[in-house]
Amino acid sequence: MSADTSTYQPAAIPDEGTATQVYRIVIKATPQEIWDAITLPEFTRRYFHGAAITITPDGYASFGPDGSSWGDAEVLEWDPPNRVVHGWKSLYDPTLSAEAESRVTWEITPDDDGTCLLTVIHDRLEGAPRTASGVAGAGWMGVLSALKTLLETGEPLHPTFAGEQA
Amino acid sequence: MAEDDDAVFRALADPSRRRLLDLLFERDGRTLGELEEQFAMSRFGVMKHVRVLEEAGLVVTRKDGRSTRHFLNPIPIQLVADRWVDKYRDERVTALVDLKTALESRQEPRS
Repeated sequence: MSADTSTYQPAAIPDEGTATQVYRIVIKATPQEIWDAITLPEFTRRYFHGAAITITPDGYASFGPDGSSWGDAEVLEWDPPNRVVHGWKSLYDPTLSAEAESRVTWEITPDDDGTCLLTVIHDRLEGAPRTASGVAGAGWMGVLSALKTLLETGEPLHPTFAGEQA
Repeated sequence: MAEDDDAVFRALADPSRRRLLDLLFERDGRTLGELEEQFAMSRFGVMKHVRVLEEAGLVVTRKDGRSTRHFLNPIPIQLVADRWVDKYRDERVTALVDLKTALESRQEPRS
């Protein structure tokens, strides 16, 4: 295997592959519960780095625990409780907010065993390389596993987030 | 894809499948053809491995025009690690790891 890896030459393909990140998680909850957890600030505060996020057909707005704007974007698709697509700009960091807007798609697919698949596609990241590396891996992974913990146990993964509500 | 630790462990227990994940880690969103050309085995063989990874939730496919792109989904590995690593990460184990690190670092020449 190691010899194989060292001779491996990346093929030249268009960049759209790397400008897309996909995350999927199984959550034992109803589509409506997951939908509420994604779109209502009283839930997002408890798993999304403390951010109070409101998503409506009119727009996407995110505020940090100190009340500063963390995100403000258009909602491109609105199909409760299945699918919502919104713009993404990381306003909490000046370097990131200078980058082009990217796009986040949430898809909720019920399974027949009482669980749902929640898929997050963060794409159009071509013009936002720093945002891409910021949300990659541990970023979305942490948010989604905290969301799963919240919905399945009622407990936020990071107790400090709950404390910030008080 | 159901939540299934066994499926994740089974998927990771094969060197070709770990290599597929490494290839996607290196550059995500490859087509089957792009994955296949990195292997000496048949297209069918690679497909079979990709299928096992998909069933374990480690690979998610998306349609992109006429092609299907494959994306690495790291979440099942993270969840398995959370369940298993956290369980054994107690003080005894931590003490042993610290001891190992301390002993092994002594092999480095001291300046």
